[in-house]
Amino acid sequence: MTGNAYDIDIWGLLVALAMVAVAAGISELMRINIGKTLLWSACRALLQLCAMGFIIGYVIRANNVFLVFAVIAVMLVAAVQITLSRAKGVPKGLAGPVLLSLTITMLLMISLVTELVVRPHPWYAPQLVVPLTGMLLGNTVSALAVGLSRFYESMNERRDEIDTLLALGSTAWEAARPSIVSSIRLGLLPTTATLASCGIVTIPGMMAGQVIAGGDPLEAAKYQFVVFAAIAALTLVADSLIMAMVYRTCFTADDQYKPPEMR
Amino acid sequence: MSNTEKVFTANGVTCIVPAQGERRTIFENLEFAIAPGEIVDLVGPSGSGKSSLLTAFARLNPHTTGSFALDGHDSGKFTPQQWRHEVAYLPQKPILPGETVAEAIRLPFTLAIRAGAVEGDSQDGAATAAGATTAADTAAPHRIGKVGLGRRFVALFRNNDQQARKLLTDQKIRMTLDAMGCEDIDLDRPPHDLSGGQAARVSLARTLLTEPKVLLADEVDAGLDDENAEKVADIMAAAASGGMAIIRIRHRPPDGRAFRIVTLANGILSEQAGKQA
Repeated sequence: MTGNAYDIDIWGLLVALAMVAVAAGISELMRINIGKTLLWSACRALLQLCAMGFIIGYVIRANNVFLVFAVIAVMLVAAVQITLSRAKGVPKGLAGPVLLSLTITMLLMISLVTELVVRPHPWYAPQLVVPLTGMLLGNTVSALAVGLSRFYESMNERRDEIDTLLALGSTAWEAARPSIVSSIRLGLLPTTATLASCGIVTIPGMMAGQVIAGGDPLEAAKYQFVVFAAIAALTLVADSLIMAMVYRTCFTADDQYKPPEMR
Repeated sequence: MSNTEKVFTANGVTCIVPAQGERRTIFENLEFAIAPGEIVDLVGPSGSGKSSLLTAFARLNPHTTGSFALDGHDSGKFTPQQWRHEVAYLPQKPILPGETVAEAIRLPFTLAIRAGAVEGDSQDGAATAAGATTAADTAAPHRIGKVGLGRRFVALFRNNDQQARKLLTDQKIRMTLDAMGCEDIDLDRPPHDLSGGQAARVSLARTLLTEPKVLLADEVDAGLDDENAEKVADIMAAAASGGMAIIRIRHRPPDGRAFRIVTLANGILSEQAGKQA
């Protein structure tokens, strides 16, 4: 794009794949038995990334607002599916709340970061909106999956405590609050850790990409910060929203504790 | 005790639990009533549903149905929180969240039902010692009805801990515990360090300080030595003499404090007079 980028040719891809193959081979020899999965995942990643590259390329060239939102819609649905498959021990019927909380945060992301901070022309600039959504979803998906798993696990562990609290006259919210707090904290842990370590231990992927593609490192840093800040804030929003929507699944309409088998 | 002045009545109490795909009826259509100041012992073989009956009374059990009334008011007119404020279930296992014993005892007063209700008139809400409960007539009047959304939103941001400290001071807790014969319990210790007997008494004190009209004590003296069991029984007898109606699940031999002994077996409640009437 900027001219001084170093393109990767087909041989480059093969070298990368060969590296994985060698590593997989060694692991097979050492009987770690991870070689097959590693190789398979690498091939999948290559295909998925290339497909993504094609699609984003097409969307950017088409520059059509409906197409942009269609791609985002597909990403959202996939994100819901991945969240639910990763979250352990959650009841059925959470697809709606997860989709709603992801959609709200995604819309906030687009309206705040894109329209307030970057202000591109046209306002739906696909080269900005699609990757931003992708990064946001990547983060919120894992935060939600961890948060949901932790919430239900904690609600099961705290069963006696919750019954005691309810007996003392607490509302469902008051009884669930410690679990909500601990699950949001756990869900946000990776995000805060990334914020604290970036620039010292790691060069974050987005900034690295811009630098490799020949962008100004300081510009890249500013971009990276805006994106990180937005992701951190919005992950908290997404986690809080989902908790507010699902904590009631652990209680009956009469504010009684609902054991896991009844949810 | 005449039949007309019952504080709590229960009718048509039924408990059906799902068991291996089937629905098993534990008890059906039970009736029960208790007068203020009365102590009733609930006995029966294990698995007969004694705990389920008590949790049903407190509207805590999702497997039970029935109609309940407090002072003639139907339970449907109360929010679950308002109901449990007056009909308090005391679980067998003492669970005392908090850094210190004082914090654990203050827990009920950090909840919106109490911290939110008594803004301003903080003296009388929790002021009477549990030993000498002057019944809830003098305390904050019955609040029956729905809680508004606005109020609930405000409650999200209120610092209930400070409110609780005002409602129930350390001094007040100390006095109450001493009056209960719990001089041995240090308020600043973490609840973990308490012995089984001490934890049971702290748990009892916590519920008594909330001044319910009906106390549902689920085998509170199980696992205690005779001395501690006696102390617990004394504390409850003192509360009853102040007007609290108390139902106790017990496995120990009768201690002469119950007015009536009610047996739950094979889904049927049967009654005999207590040792002292």
